[in-house]
Amino acid sequence: MKVAGPILVVEDIVKRFDTPDGALTAIDQVSFDVAPGEFLAVIGPSGCGKSTLFNVIGGLVDGYEGRVSVAGETVRGPHPALGMVFQEESTFPWRTVIENVAFPLEIAGVAKAERLERARHFVALVGLAGFERRYPAELSGGMRQRVSMARTLASEPKILLMDEPFAALDEQTRLLLGDKVLQIQQELKQTTLLITHNITEAVQLSDRILVMTYRPGRVKRVVPIDLPRPRTSEIVSSDAFGHYVAQIWNDLREEATRGMRDAEAHSLRAGAAS
Amino acid sequence: MRAKLAPPALGLATLALAIHDIQTLIEVGTINRFVVPLPTQIAASFGRVIVEENVLGRFLLTAGETLAAGVLLTVVGIGIGALLYRFRLLRLACETWIAALASAPIVLMYPLFLVIFGRSAMTLVMMGFVAALPPVILKTIEGLAGTRRVLIDVGRSFKLTQAQQFRKILFPAALPSMFVGIRLGLIFALINIVGVEFLINFGGLGQLINELAERYDLPGTYAAICFVVLVSVCFFAVTGWVERWLRPGD
Amino acid sequence: MRTPGLAAQPVMLLRAGLIAAALAVWQAVSVSGLLFRDVVPSLGAIGGALVRLLIDPGFYGHLGTSGLEIGLALVIGGLSGLIAGLVLGANRLLGKAFEPYLYYLGPTPKIIFFPVMIMWFGVGPGSKIAMGVISCFFPIALSTAAGMRQIDRVLIRVGRSFRAAAWQMVSKIYLPAMREPIVNGVRLGLGVAVIGTLLAETKLSNRGVGFLVINSYSTFDMPRMYALLIVVFVIAIGVNALVGRLGAGRSYAKA
Repeated sequence: MKVAGPILVVEDIVKRFDTPDGALTAIDQVSFDVAPGEFLAVIGPSGCGKSTLFNVIGGLVDGYEGRVSVAGETVRGPHPALGMVFQEESTFPWRTVIENVAFPLEIAGVAKAERLERARHFVALVGLAGFERRYPAELSGGMRQRVSMARTLASEPKILLMDEPFAALDEQTRLLLGDKVLQIQQELKQTTLLITHNITEAVQLSDRILVMTYRPGRVKRVVPIDLPRPRTSEIVSSDAFGHYVAQIWNDLREEATRGMRDAEAHSLRAGAAS
Repeated sequence: MRAKLAPPALGLATLALAIHDIQTLIEVGTINRFVVPLPTQIAASFGRVIVEENVLGRFLLTAGETLAAGVLLTVVGIGIGALLYRFRLLRLACETWIAALASAPIVLMYPLFLVIFGRSAMTLVMMGFVAALPPVILKTIEGLAGTRRVLIDVGRSFKLTQAQQFRKILFPAALPSMFVGIRLGLIFALINIVGVEFLINFGGLGQLINELAERYDLPGTYAAICFVVLVSVCFFAVTGWVERWLRPGD
Repeated sequence: MRTPGLAAQPVMLLRAGLIAAALAVWQAVSVSGLLFRDVVPSLGAIGGALVRLLIDPGFYGHLGTSGLEIGLALVIGGLSGLIAGLVLGANRLLGKAFEPYLYYLGPTPKIIFFPVMIMWFGVGPGSKIAMGVISCFFPIALSTAAGMRQIDRVLIRVGRSFRAAAWQMVSKIYLPAMREPIVNGVRLGLGVAVIGTLLAETKLSNRGVGFLVINSYSTFDMPRMYALLIVVFVIAIGVNALVGRLGAGRSYAKA
């Protein structure tokens, strides 16, 4: 679905891996666009290549077919207009919150006083004002992910890429953090691409949802989410929300089942071999 | 499969190349042959040294000293470790001292041991024993203290006495750690014993190196050093395998 | 080891008690003549020797010589160990090819290399420094290599995603992430460098603390030997604790 002047264009991405069991196609001919200010969620079962897609767009992986371009420029390696938030714990344990958030500015050579000032703004934006001098070990998991997010936002990327940033958190924390993300996105008009396996989260946060198939990952369906903006987590209780979730689960169930059967077959083989 | 052999092959190839280069550099005179003998000479003197210098006898002597130290280490080290574990207050008082001792140059006391025990095998055994004691004690305590709480509770639920608790639960549970400690102790003991043999010019393999050096038998000295390093490496590797074999399921 | 709830009082009392008991036993054995008198000098004799040692300006000259040798050995051995460790830890092929050599050659008696060091570096401080270098190179290289490998991979991806330059990756990510293993390696290296250098001094030297120790042996000045050993132990343990304290910085356990 082409929108006038998309800021991120992903064209015909094919990525294969060499494994002991032969060549594996992780993603196969995936194409989509993201418009400026849009929130796009990519959802799929485990093993659909979502994280591979994340790494391809983010420029951390090469050796693929197809093209990724940001505002017309082809992506070759990490692009300055792309900001990445990783799934795992990624705060630097030896830096305080403010030092973590100021990291991209430090890399870019911004003077100390200025970068700490700018970082403070983003620390407040994610709701961690007052925690600037704390170390990540003193914070909860949700707070640490917020620090990672603030750090990426501090580099003021045109496009925010997030790979299951809330995967390690409990449902309630996720919903509340989802609120935070909606707030931030509203305020910054931040173009966002969210990779997730959580349907509720995808529907709660996005304008469009891309449903992927199980390996090899392809775009199965694009679902426009016509829920009103500005949104909060209260939307979870609405009828429309429930319909969307049901619709997407319908698409996903098939893929998830295939994935589960595949995993079981693999364990059986592995068990038989030992 | 090929990929697995590549790194060791690279290592060996580099080593062979280095030895070859050294040989060449000595032959053309860049390296003084009275400081570094030709590798071929060193290799040649292996046989001579082994036969003439009774290397087997020396090896057995050093091994015997190390073994004796090892027995002492096991009995005394585990004993003290168990004692410290048993009496919590004592442990709190002493554990940091022992850890501090582990970083101290205990082997520097060898002249003292010379005075006490004379130039004899006893000096070597005691030196090896004392220098290697801290890690054995610490590892024993670590093993006993690391016993899972639930296992201790099982013992208590069966109303075991203190002694039974120790024999049937704590000791077996701590065995893996104790093996690690004993292995560390044996290795430290060997290193210190060979070192002191060299320094006091008495004993087995360490003394051999000292003697050959004092005789200015250059190729022999280098050969003896290589041999001792080989023995030490084998000892380290073998004790490692034994330790792993004694700890199934790790 | 911290035990919340247990007062420090009993521990301190016990420690004081243990020290007092040990000193009392020592003095008793010394006075009784059970062992050959000079092997167990009286506490007074040792105390006197200790004082004489500490007020002797010549002693500090020897201490300085040893300190300098150990310091230089740590710098040379430490830097080369650090670089070797960084390379072996970063490159899997090189690591697998050469690290086993370091791993297996590490626990060998280095003092046996001393005759070779003398031939290469002469009878002066050079050979002692060389002994210290080959002693501390191994633990530092191995700890650094292991430290490289235990760095959380995601932190490296963060750096790359922000397009950090190579020097920024090293100074802002690699080194801070490896601080603990490197400090531990340095503490171990310090310990073995001290041993290597001082033992070499006992074998062949006319300066340094090791020389003083063996000199007390040959002049059979036992109180002075005990005094020297006490000083060496106190300094060695103290410096080790200092390095540990400095190296730990703020304790920010990994999240």
